[in-house]
Amino acid sequence: MPNGLKVRLLSNRAAPIASVYTFFKVGSRNERPGITGISHLFEHMMFNGSKRYGPKQFDRVLESHGGRSNAYTSHDMTVYHEEVAAEALEVVFDLESDRMASLAINDTSLESEREVVKEERRLRVDNEPTGLLDEELGALMWKAHPYRWPVIGWMGDIENIAREDCERYFRTYYAPNNAALYVVGDLDPGRTLALVRRYYGGIPPGPPTPPVVNSEPEQRGERRAVLHHAVHAPSLMLGYHAPSARDEDTLALDVLQYALTVGDGSRLARSLVFERPLVVGVSMDWSWRTDPGAIVFYLELKPDSRPQSVEKALYDELDKVRSHRLSPRELAKAKNNLKSHLLQGLATNSGKAHALGSYELLRGSWRSSLDLASRYEAISAEQVRAASERHLVPEKRSVATLLPSGAGR
Amino acid sequence: MRRAAAARRVSRRVGARPLLKGVHLPEVDEFQTSSGLKVLFAERGPLPLVALQLWLPAGSAADPKRKDGLADFTASLLRRGTRKRTADELNEAVEFCGASLACGAEEDFLSVRINAPSEHLRPMLEILAEVVRWPSFPRKEVESTRTRLLAQLANDLDDPGVVAERALLRALWDDHPYGHDVVGTAKQVRTFTRQDAVAFQRSRFGPRVGLLVIAGQGEARDVKAVAERVFGDWEGGPDRALATPPLQPPVLSGRTLLVDKPEQTQSQIRIGGRGIPRGSEDIFAASLMNTALGGSFTSRLVEAIRVKRGLSYGVSSGFERLMAAGSFAVSTFTKTETTRAAIDLCLLELAKMRRKGPSAEELDVAKRYLTGLFPLRFETNEAVAGALAEIRLYGLGDDWVERYRERLLQVTVEEARRVARKYILAEPPAIVVVGNAAQVKKQLSGLGPVSVREVSQLQ
Repeated sequence: MPNGLKVRLLSNRAAPIASVYTFFKVGSRNERPGITGISHLFEHMMFNGSKRYGPKQFDRVLESHGGRSNAYTSHDMTVYHEEVAAEALEVVFDLESDRMASLAINDTSLESEREVVKEERRLRVDNEPTGLLDEELGALMWKAHPYRWPVIGWMGDIENIAREDCERYFRTYYAPNNAALYVVGDLDPGRTLALVRRYYGGIPPGPPTPPVVNSEPEQRGERRAVLHHAVHAPSLMLGYHAPSARDEDTLALDVLQYALTVGDGSRLARSLVFERPLVVGVSMDWSWRTDPGAIVFYLELKPDSRPQSVEKALYDELDKVRSHRLSPRELAKAKNNLKSHLLQGLATNSGKAHALGSYELLRGSWRSSLDLASRYEAISAEQVRAASERHLVPEKRSVATLLPSGAGR
Repeated sequence: MRRAAAARRVSRRVGARPLLKGVHLPEVDEFQTSSGLKVLFAERGPLPLVALQLWLPAGSAADPKRKDGLADFTASLLRRGTRKRTADELNEAVEFCGASLACGAEEDFLSVRINAPSEHLRPMLEILAEVVRWPSFPRKEVESTRTRLLAQLANDLDDPGVVAERALLRALWDDHPYGHDVVGTAKQVRTFTRQDAVAFQRSRFGPRVGLLVIAGQGEARDVKAVAERVFGDWEGGPDRALATPPLQPPVLSGRTLLVDKPEQTQSQIRIGGRGIPRGSEDIFAASLMNTALGGSFTSRLVEAIRVKRGLSYGVSSGFERLMAAGSFAVSTFTKTETTRAAIDLCLLELAKMRRKGPSAEELDVAKRYLTGLFPLRFETNEAVAGALAEIRLYGLGDDWVERYRERLLQVTVEEARRVARKYILAEPPAIVVVGNAAQVKKQLSGLGPVSVREVSQLQ
């Protein structure tokens, strides 16, 4: 649209429902120390009143028309989504465009929402072993880049974010030229586009958003941290610096992730969970990010396993993928699963809309959802090995260990 | 101004009629193998995918005495080796195709489920039959699965939400078959032997009590032929499912169970009582009433606890409905200092709902909300197969999906009020708090008797 809002519509007449996704290109990477967590707190505030729909009205109006809404914030983006009876699409455009045009932040609801977010932080981080580890690992891996802090923000910062910060934030990042709208479901494209034009057309564009500077220095040696918490078993989170979503190695690392940890027959599940039963579970998080990101391994140990032995066993497996290619069958298996999961992700309206938006934001084009399968097909075993060798470098890893309180002191 | 007027027009137009544009399950081909196994096949596109599910009335309610968790334990061993293949070979056969296999128990049923690209329907159906009919329970796998499960049970104690759910089961049902988590308890899991799993599989699995549901791309003729080939000569097993006894009043009615986790800065809270069993017609009125109470973002509990006071990130209420009984529970969490305030607010909202039921407007909004979102339940093959299974296993009637929204819309304010009186606080609730007992206990005076437990007592 002339104001810069990207609009993508996809018709699916299978059932009388539709999904609406609004992606804003802003997340914790756009924050600075002192107001960490503002992207996420702000996401909450988007449900607390705009110009025409006052506090509480967003959900009330939506639910009374047979819809529901939610949102999430990541390092790179903030995503709002609705599922509705198809006939109520216009109501969603009305509600969403109103809060994009004219959010009204009121002090009472900001104070109350701040408490809600603090409870969310207590739930997900302070009283949750994986949350504690994740936060520690981020601060260990990054020295300069905003990926250093958790998306939910430091507790002290959450307490100190002011209304003015929120208002500045809204003006800077919540303009149509920093957003994209995806609508998938039982819709008529022509009529829907006319509605989108009517509701969103009058919102003026904002200034270009300030660039995020990536001053992350090169890592010159392994980094380690140890945490103590009241837990029954130790756990480990290990991170390696990894490329951005648009890098050539990205899809090869997707293949690696599947070969290592997807399915009971994957390499790490087989060797660490079943053959030498050292851990209860192992996972590899390789999430695409806007700036160079991270490959993170998480291992939930058994109460009697030693973290040192588990680390050693993991490194043995990682050495193998750095020095030897996956067998042709293993490579084919990983690709078959990637393709199958791509397809399963497209089974729902919500899955389709979310895929279009994430690919467009992180890979640069929604068309990725069409050509990813054939691009995976073209990846060779040597590409996977070379990507492993480039990114799983022992000197560039960070290791956070969580130990039961009282142990190892 | 122009946009505001448009918005009002939209509200009136959409508000004027119920949202009942068709929701149908696909047509179902139904047949029986010569062994007596019932098979349902729903052809469904457009994606080249298929979901296969075999259901057996062998859930945790069928766990033998003093073997809590055996159903789930047996289920997880099914894929760890059969007469024909080792665990590695099974994994390879499933995962090479881009398929996934899940075996597990719920309270009433045990299921083996496969999602696969539809070109692999035949070999996947063969694997499904193989793991259900010929698991070999290799000794080494029994040992390692038990060791892993015991480690998991220990680690579960570090998750306050999981601890709260387990404590609530105890508080409500105790030694009733629904009174333990499906994964069992460490004390009893430690005693599991290979023979226990073998005996459970032999006595609880069989064609006459099973239901095979397949939804996705495929041909009925094909499905029928393969199902007959792999299940036609399945013998043995029970003739009918074990009956689960109905629930007595909640064991800790009017009492509080406080589970001590001294390191917690936040308390997990559950408030529970008796609910609705499967098959009861009360579910329509009760779902609507609960939507207004704690089933949606605009519900009374969310308004009171989260929106008005910022006491929690989440609060919800809901009915868990099982074959022989059901429960109703409110679930929330708040910082240690406001534990009592959150409990009181929940109890107040429950009491108000009990006294007067939902208003006509709340009921109307709940109807729109539930009917509008209903089609979302049938978007994937797994969901359609699951819905078909649910209808059959719980005897809900073949028009369950087609008539569901109509039946919701027929509920009157009086009926909603009646179910509120019948199910909300009909008996004093059992309350569970998981948190820093030293800080929380002094907040609980006047709530009735409080018993304090160490978290290790819930392993």
